[in-house]
Amino acid sequence: MKATPYNLFMSALYGGRKGIRPPTGNPTSIACVELMKACGAFFPEAHLNARAMADLALAGHELAGFDTVMPEYSVHQESAALGCEMDWGNETRMPDAKTAPYADFSDVIVPENILEKPSLRVVLDALSMLRREVGGQAAIIGKVMGPWTLSYHMAGTQNFLLQLGLGEKDKINRMLRQLMPVTIAFANAQFRAGADAVVLADHATGNLVGPYHYRDYLLPIHQEITARVGGPMILHICGNCLDRLEFFAESGVDAYHFEWQVDARTAVEKIGKRISLIGNLNNPKTMFQGTPEDVYKQARYAIEAGVDIIGPECAVPLTTPLANLRAIPAAVREGY
Amino acid sequence: MNESIQQIKEGVIEGRHREIESLVREICKTGISPDTVIQEGLIAAMNVVGQKFSDGEIFVPEMMVSAMTMKLGLNIVKPLLTGKAGAPKGTVLMGTVKGDLHDIGKNIVVMMLEGAGFQVIDLGVDIDVEKVVATVAEIRPQVLGLSALLTTTMPEMKRVIEELRARGLRDRVKVMVGGAPVDAAFAEKIGADGYGRDAVQAVALARSFVGH
Repeated sequence: MKATPYNLFMSALYGGRKGIRPPTGNPTSIACVELMKACGAFFPEAHLNARAMADLALAGHELAGFDTVMPEYSVHQESAALGCEMDWGNETRMPDAKTAPYADFSDVIVPENILEKPSLRVVLDALSMLRREVGGQAAIIGKVMGPWTLSYHMAGTQNFLLQLGLGEKDKINRMLRQLMPVTIAFANAQFRAGADAVVLADHATGNLVGPYHYRDYLLPIHQEITARVGGPMILHICGNCLDRLEFFAESGVDAYHFEWQVDARTAVEKIGKRISLIGNLNNPKTMFQGTPEDVYKQARYAIEAGVDIIGPECAVPLTTPLANLRAIPAAVREGY
Repeated sequence: MNESIQQIKEGVIEGRHREIESLVREICKTGISPDTVIQEGLIAAMNVVGQKFSDGEIFVPEMMVSAMTMKLGLNIVKPLLTGKAGAPKGTVLMGTVKGDLHDIGKNIVVMMLEGAGFQVIDLGVDIDVEKVVATVAEIRPQVLGLSALLTTTMPEMKRVIEELRARGLRDRVKVMVGGAPVDAAFAEKIGADGYGRDAVQAVALARSFVGH
């Protein structure tokens, strides 16, 4: 197998042949201020302008050295399209929704032309640019928010969790199922636009909800999503999810992107033969406050543990030093 | 333990929010002291809830419903308290620091502190250093709890502590910090009095600060 970034990543994503070195990958954002300055594409423009979005993604590959380009940085592209009033942030602040339009759990109205809404269109256009510019050379990663995350945005996170605690199963399931088509449509559109893989980010995180919540509400939905989406999907759920890894392996995704709170060796032991694992370098302590040597050590630990694709655990803090991002490709270049 | 008190305790633990008000009303008619209902029923229940959360048996949704249930019960019994029996264990001022809009973790801590018998004043999110310090000067809480979920806003915690020192208020309030990127080493580095990994630890810290 030729040791191109694309080949190395895609083979590892499917648990295939190993090349001369492990791949690096970023299912979540590696945008940081230094990277923005280096390529001239800044937040908030990079959330809403396709060229800026693509340029910042390219910088992750060409300047930071990752084997992937991933152009979606915020978690709010869909929520903006569904009617949330947005604060698109700035260089050091990610976007945030200011409103939760379905706090009353009324029926979610999904616009028929939702893929043409500016916040979704921009992602599709950026993916197409990346396909034309680095297709087959770097792996192109799209991203969609799953119905759980979208429900947080539509109803308000605390409100949603309270209804969950009150046992309002019909309310919860109805909202999830009304939002599921958005996830599926956007994911399929991203593959058509040029994505090689799409991240399914769905924040039923271990810090908020239990494994039984994932099993009872979200696992069937994820199984349906993965069955109806054309290409490979990477599940991203934050937090300590050790207690639900086996459920993730049943969801139909090809890989799970995991956080530092789950030890790499344990994750590999539990589900490494069933789906690929991506991660899991610590963000606050290592990527943000650590040195390149600290990053290197954690990357080598993950490699030696058997993690398939090496990268930060989640979206890196926006003031992460570029030198720390570069330390990950430096670590994988040493091979297995 | 009195069977009725046990029922109230179980009612809160199980989040039986529809029944708790009538349960508490009934028990208050039997002559059991309101303070006993609160301490041995409602607050004791939240201690169990906190332990279950720490042990990973329950999660935020269940904790929220228990806290809601406890509050409903408390609203019935509190007006019946007399004298010092109604005094809170202490006052805690809570807030998420400037530039940070995250509040779920902080809100859970607020619920658990109230469940533990503290009076809590919640300043909300994105709060200026000046506002925090001015409020400390005005209401003189025993404890100040600061939350941050972003690495970029963590430095605000240090700014608050420095400003408290500059205004001669540092020795009058215990400062505890928390939030996903925060840890004990950071808390020590900035001169905080304690770090709470979760809401349960925050309550334990607050208790230790007020001498309970």
